[in-house]
Amino acid sequence: MSLLLSSRKWKDLSLLFPICLFLGIFFLIPLVILLIKSVTVPSFGLGNFYELLATSTYIKILGNTFLVATLVTVFAVLLGFPLAWCITLFPKGWGRFLLNVVLLSMWTSLLARTYSWLVLLQSSGVLNKILMGIGLIDQPLELVHNLSGVIIGMTYIMIPFVVLPLQASMSTIDPMVLQAASICGASARSVFFKIFIPLCKPGIFSGALMVFVMSLGYYVTPALLGGVSNMMLPEFIVQQIQNFLNWGVASASASILIAVTLVIFYIYLKVQSDSPTSSNKGS
Amino acid sequence: MLLTPQSIGWKLKSTLYFITGAIASFLALPIFFIVALSFGSSQWLIFPPPHWTTKWYERFFDNPQWIEAALTSLQVALMTSIIATAIALPTSFALVRGKFAGRDYLYSLFTLPMIVPVVIIAVATYSMFLSLGLTGTLVAFVISHVIVALPFAMISIINSLKLFDKSIENAAVICGASRLEAIFKVTFPVIKPGIFAGALFAFLVSWDEVVISVMMASPELQTLPVKMWSTLRQDLTPVIAVASTLLIFISIFIMLVANILRKRSL
Amino acid sequence: MTTQQSSAPLVTLKLLNKEYGRFTAVNKINLEIQQGEFLTFLGSSGSGKSTTLSMIAGFETPTSGEILLHNKSLINVPSHKRGIGMVFQHYSLFPHMSVRDNIGFPLDIRKTPKAERNKKVDDILKLVQLEDFAERPPTLLSGGQKQRVAIARALVYEPEILLMDEPLGALDKKLREDLQDELRQIHKRLGITIIYVTHDQDEAMRLSERIAIFKEGEIVGLGSGRNLYDSPPNAFVASFLGNSNFIKVRAVSTSEAQFEQQTLKFREQTTPIKTQADILLMVRPENLHVLSEQQAEQEPLTVEMNQIAATVEETVFLGESYTCSVVTESGQRLMSKYISKDHCEIAAGTDIVVRWNVNHTNVYDQWKQSDITKA
Repeated sequence: MSLLLSSRKWKDLSLLFPICLFLGIFFLIPLVILLIKSVTVPSFGLGNFYELLATSTYIKILGNTFLVATLVTVFAVLLGFPLAWCITLFPKGWGRFLLNVVLLSMWTSLLARTYSWLVLLQSSGVLNKILMGIGLIDQPLELVHNLSGVIIGMTYIMIPFVVLPLQASMSTIDPMVLQAASICGASARSVFFKIFIPLCKPGIFSGALMVFVMSLGYYVTPALLGGVSNMMLPEFIVQQIQNFLNWGVASASASILIAVTLVIFYIYLKVQSDSPTSSNKGS
Repeated sequence: MLLTPQSIGWKLKSTLYFITGAIASFLALPIFFIVALSFGSSQWLIFPPPHWTTKWYERFFDNPQWIEAALTSLQVALMTSIIATAIALPTSFALVRGKFAGRDYLYSLFTLPMIVPVVIIAVATYSMFLSLGLTGTLVAFVISHVIVALPFAMISIINSLKLFDKSIENAAVICGASRLEAIFKVTFPVIKPGIFAGALFAFLVSWDEVVISVMMASPELQTLPVKMWSTLRQDLTPVIAVASTLLIFISIFIMLVANILRKRSL
Repeated sequence: MTTQQSSAPLVTLKLLNKEYGRFTAVNKINLEIQQGEFLTFLGSSGSGKSTTLSMIAGFETPTSGEILLHNKSLINVPSHKRGIGMVFQHYSLFPHMSVRDNIGFPLDIRKTPKAERNKKVDDILKLVQLEDFAERPPTLLSGGQKQRVAIARALVYEPEILLMDEPLGALDKKLREDLQDELRQIHKRLGITIIYVTHDQDEAMRLSERIAIFKEGEIVGLGSGRNLYDSPPNAFVASFLGNSNFIKVRAVSTSEAQFEQQTLKFREQTTPIKTQADILLMVRPENLHVLSEQQAEQEPLTVEMNQIAATVEETVFLGESYTCSVVTESGQRLMSKYISKDHCEIAAGTDIVVRWNVNHTNVYDQWKQSDITKA
């Protein structure tokens, strides 16, 4: 009897053999080696980390990374919220259209969209032309290869990652609860701020964390739309390897990035499983 | 109330329409803009362009480097898609059907490539392939793409398997089919759209992948995004708009198919 | 009653046990199922009825115990070789096949020759009146039609036993009753053995020859519907099936108990009730007669009757019947049910007496409070 059960269990586990083998060899081992390199290259010890934390450029890069991630998160949530609300509100016509736009944007080539912004934002680009045309500015604004370029491009990329989880959590809110609140005498404004927003909180929070953590590790958009003076951590890592072959410092920075990412992701999982509207627990 | 359209005043409603319309344009316009630009005559990407032309398309298709890059992309994406799906399929069955402890942890572990910044995966695998002397090979491309594509394939298949009512498979078994027969004759045909959608998502992830590919590429072997990347760093030529347009249309096409499949799998 | 022990049982469950970790889903049950009978497992969710069915089907492996079919163990026989038919709760039709192919599936698996297969499918389609729907995909059928297809698919290979797991649960009341009648007809016509799982006691009564009542993994009542209703073997079954009045009293002899100032009589039990024991008397509401004081004077109390004085609390009209709730001096609340055609409403506050026949009294000397409080 127990023999039968254990053979069943063994069969289940053998199905996991391919993925364990693949991810083990090609993902986990290289990742661990990279982490180890941070304390062994060029020599054993915490030298790389000391070097990093003692360099003002590095501190600036780290600060800049968190600044960009924070700003992008705030903007993406502000712009994503009305979209998610509308999609929940009008699931048929306008909402479905909005959802399709969001999905289209999310699944369209990242590089193509970033390139588009590069062209749109350049000093002879459409945006500057329009702004000058309507007389708002006399001189073209520097919108690209600086912080504003990165923020615009990244916010644009991240909006879908706010909208989808937020919309999912909104759609689990029972409209009757809101109706009950207004029957109890709450004005539309207080229903919104006292009932609706608190109920959306888990969705907002998990969407925001998701965007924050993704922004920290984003490479393509900052590399193309940002300037030299506001480099972010991922770019720094690539630069250290490709230009300076400095594996030690690169691995140390990578370790920091992974650590931050995993900590935030852990919080994200906690928030998701604790949220009152979550229907399944994390699986 | 606030979640039903009837309960919202027209003032709020029209404000909402306006705001979301603006945000939706913000999301959609760059995509249309780039498609329009690929037909513009201006070398400097002036918009609106003085004339409409297909000369950038001619440039693109006349340049063997672009064509080769596109073909490499296609090849890598196809192989990635097949391998990722092949690995994800048994994994999904084990995770959904298995009764062993720690399934949630394994699921998190297998989705880790989605969480860990791509840059780090790129650097780590680059370092490995460098020491193996495999950078710039098709194998390196495919393996590193499968890592990031796997979670997408897996999630799609897991979702369709979770939606699949297992008692349908049980019905086949009680009708006399062995478990394996039931899986092949009933379960697979029913969740086929989900499996196919998973394969398409894996394809798309590989097709669009930039960071890892830039690391893996050699001058002899590069994918379309890599070629775009290296060209972009020199100038903003409209040929890139052409490449972008192609990427966009293939992405949209695949997304549409995947969506139709996903809906059918419900 | 079809429990003649003359023929050997078709299916025997012996000390059948199923545990999930520390939770016991099915607790060492014993049961014999006769050839050709319609047996229903009745119980609330989590009572172990579906788990037992799953073990008979082979989808769950027992932790210990035996399942015998024709006196041969089924434990190590995989589901697909047990030759059992089953109808599932949500129909579980194959969505990618037409109705005809769904029904033909078991025959295709058995590699039945084409001509024979088609004939059998046609015959069974006629039986369930779905000839006109043969080529449709199951998604285009109504709930009742889907269920007919599922039944046809389970019957087409002529299994000895048909298992049905709440097959009508998803349908609305009227359709459910029609299909119940149809199912009873099919059972009569084919003489197949059916094991049916439901939580609906009306359905169990309507369909089955015998009912097994499940509670916390055990069978706490087994018999015909009539039997279980009239003389429930324990307080739980009494409370679970239909409505019941429970009166807690103290026995003063083996057939008498003291309640307030009155003496209540009951039949001698096979294991005699001990004097001074706390016991529970159960009377069905329809056996409890409410009489006004004048009526009581006109109709003298016979030896077979018990009588309690009480006050009417409320009378509710329910169409074919009234329910009248009355309260005795000590606060004991009793329900009486009577046909509305023959009686009229009794005003609240009226002093009355309630009477019932000694033969309609059931006595229990062991019970748990949770048995008699309906959740």
